[in-house]
Amino acid sequence: MKDTVLGILEDLTGSDEVSKDLDVNLFETGLLDSMATVQLLLELQAQCGIDVPVSEFERSEWDTPNKIIAKVESMQ
Amino acid sequence: MKKELFKIFGPLICAFLLLGIFLGLPLFNRGKISKEKMREISYSQSTNIFKGRYVKNQAFSGKYVPFFGSSELSRLDALHPSILAEKYHRNYQPFLLGNAGSQSLAHFYSMQPVNSALHGKKAVFIISPQWFVKDGTNAEAFSLYYSNLEGVNWILNSKDSRATRYAASRLLAMPTGSSDELMKMALKKKEKGKPLGKTLRWYLEYRRNALENEDHLFSMFKLNDRTQKVDRAMKKLPERYSVGKLDAVATKLGENATGNNPFDVSKKFWNKRLKGSYKELKGKQADYDYTQSPEFADFQLVLQQFKDNNMDVMFIIPPVNRKWMEYTGLSQKMLDRFDKKIIYQLHSQGFNNICDMTNVKEEPYFMQDTIHLGWRGWLAADTYISPFMASKFEAPHYKMNDMFYSKGWQNLSGSGIDDLK
Amino acid sequence: MINLQPYQNPTYFVLLAVALLPLAIGLLYGKRFKVYEMIVSFAFLLLTFGGVKLNEGLALLGYVIFETLLVCGYHAYRKKQNSGYVFVLAVVLAIAPLLIFKLTPFVTGKPSILGFLGISYLTFKVVGTVMETRDGMIKELKWYHVLHFLLFFPTISSGPIDRYRRFRKDYEKVPSREKYLELLGKGVWNIFLGFFYKFILAYAFGTLILPVVSKYALGHGGISWWLVAYMYVYAMDLFFDFAGYSLFAVGISYIMGVETPVNFNKPFISKNIKEFWNRWHMSLSFWFRDYIYMRFVFFIMKNKLMKNRVHIASVGYLLLFLIMGFWHGLTWYYIVYGLYHACAIILCDAWLRFKKKHKDKLPHNKFTECLAIFVTFNVVCFSFLIFSGFLDTLFFAK
Repeated sequence: MKDTVLGILEDLTGSDEVSKDLDVNLFETGLLDSMATVQLLLELQAQCGIDVPVSEFERSEWDTPNKIIAKVESMQ
Repeated sequence: MKKELFKIFGPLICAFLLLGIFLGLPLFNRGKISKEKMREISYSQSTNIFKGRYVKNQAFSGKYVPFFGSSELSRLDALHPSILAEKYHRNYQPFLLGNAGSQSLAHFYSMQPVNSALHGKKAVFIISPQWFVKDGTNAEAFSLYYSNLEGVNWILNSKDSRATRYAASRLLAMPTGSSDELMKMALKKKEKGKPLGKTLRWYLEYRRNALENEDHLFSMFKLNDRTQKVDRAMKKLPERYSVGKLDAVATKLGENATGNNPFDVSKKFWNKRLKGSYKELKGKQADYDYTQSPEFADFQLVLQQFKDNNMDVMFIIPPVNRKWMEYTGLSQKMLDRFDKKIIYQLHSQGFNNICDMTNVKEEPYFMQDTIHLGWRGWLAADTYISPFMASKFEAPHYKMNDMFYSKGWQNLSGSGIDDLK
Repeated sequence: MINLQPYQNPTYFVLLAVALLPLAIGLLYGKRFKVYEMIVSFAFLLLTFGGVKLNEGLALLGYVIFETLLVCGYHAYRKKQNSGYVFVLAVVLAIAPLLIFKLTPFVTGKPSILGFLGISYLTFKVVGTVMETRDGMIKELKWYHVLHFLLFFPTISSGPIDRYRRFRKDYEKVPSREKYLELLGKGVWNIFLGFFYKFILAYAFGTLILPVVSKYALGHGGISWWLVAYMYVYAMDLFFDFAGYSLFAVGISYIMGVETPVNFNKPFISKNIKEFWNRWHMSLSFWFRDYIYMRFVFFIMKNKLMKNRVHIASVGYLLLFLIMGFWHGLTWYYIVYGLYHACAIILCDAWLRFKKKHKDKLPHNKFTECLAIFVTFNVVCFSFLIFSGFLDTLFFAK
């Protein structure tokens, strides 16, 4: 699961920074924007089968790769 | 917890304490104002000065004489009373009080902080017929010229009378007059003729002190320095006073300044204020009425204060530009009635120094624009002002009549005025 | 009956201080005096919407009753069914009062009697709540909670725009003493910084300088240096006035133990327009981001209506800023303001992509950062000049 998420993130950000530093803040560094966030949600739905509504997306809870992985795991 | 709370509120409490001490004690006095500064101020028509105490108090203790009025005072051409007085080194110098929108009530309150300095002085008061409209003074204009410093002084010093009750009710009707809840409470007592009570009086005295400190600190900000304009204007005048020569200067200045319009108003005024809109104004003033207005009662407050201060006052009633009057349809009959009513109010109470110009026939260059005196008009006024100022001060004998506060008087019109004797 | 507009004069603040004191003491000892707070809220609402503003007060009353019924009704429906049409209908109904209020002057030529101070901010709160209900995120919803959320008096007149779930979570728990002391400190600080912003800086820019600059700019006519001066002075006035106001609202919320989101975070040090919108009127821009932009993008992508990411983003921005423009008011300059920002942010995105691609070739140092801040600041100030409507007065008013 972790690899799937990191794969998605690498694709979306176009860099492998996300796999090197799992606590990098994705929004503050500009790696993710609103657009990419929506794509992330769609990819998670497609690849992991979890349904995250946009409302659920509270930025402070999704702002590092580690947090995203934890979230996804908790939702499965 | 105490420590944290102190960290949060400690600085706040200290700040309030300091501010309280700072404003509450009579700590500030800027001392004597220099001659040059006072000259600048006397021309500036600043609202802060109008509302304050410190500067006016010093001015009136010296040779400065209050000239109460409104927008006409700002028409600073060479024949303006202030400039004539300065040029010919007269024994008085006008201190201009008021500008657009300052009416009787504002003038009444503006005297309150300086009544003692005004005691036994001469003064000139220019009455604009345009003040006397149906609703009287505009609340916003009044607020521009009113300060709590005036109100506090008045509340603390006035004694119960019809005038006092009326003045309180007028102030209560104004939004700025009741901006301070405790002052509002005091005003309500004044309106009913009740005593203030110890605590309220204590508060008001504290407040007066704070406001006076503020006045000392801030009233000289933002002055409008017009001395250079005055200096230039003075150069245009003949070296020695001569009505004939001055009339020639006034005519020439008037000639140069007008000419691009059919109403003989100054080119500047025409371009800025009338050119775009004059077509829409044709016949528009036919139903203007200056005979029914609360302003008559407000004016009575001013007269009462002149009496209480034992002042000798000359009243000037300027005319309206004839050509403009005919164009806009302003009624001569109505103006005559206004004139009769206001003169009655003055004469019947013993105010006899009146320069009434409402019936000036078509004189060229008399008015600078539609309703404001200019060049030859100022000179005409000066022929009244100058001898009045030169004469010895005689303690006036006024007989005040409270009837002038009544609704009946405020709204007296038409044949009611014709019947006055 | 006296009427006091929020945060306008000393009397209002003195009354607030007195009314909030028992609440603060309670919170320090771990208690939330809910009934007392209700009475205080009611009193302050009455102060703002009573007396001469009673017509506004009645409009507010009607409005909140309607919206509360709507939200509760939709919530009850959503528990059983989830039709997209009903959702759209609920959103349309939620904005209907605001639309009527904004459109009435155009139809009848007279201002609508339906309006009251803060109607647009309340509408944001309602629409947000409806959308989260649709997503099934709001599990429990009580009518009195909705009412309380909408009528929370510190933020009623001009935001910041809070979210239902966040607000409930704050309100349900009482902060620990350490936490509350921290909030209290921040609250007092915010309020005093607000005084400085609103009553000193905004007063200086807006009341002292702006009329003078405006007079000269109008006197000169057309484009002049005075117009440039007007632009900067207006921008400063706008910021300090609104930021000052927001600081009051946030500060008072903190003292009441509610962490209302902040509205401004040093917007003028932004290095690009995108960052600017993350720092300026944040509760509004985040609202637009979360409820309009992201939902729009989600919808388009999920249904594969468009392929190109860049195009989707651009259309999303246009939609977002046009709605924001219309929300400000139905005049050309608000709408142009919206379009201008949409274009700016689309260009900004293009530039960021370009930068990412050519990372190694583009210099990046202190100087380029300052340049970026300078350019962004000027782009923003120009947008405020459009927003001010001064150009309208200057060029089109007769």
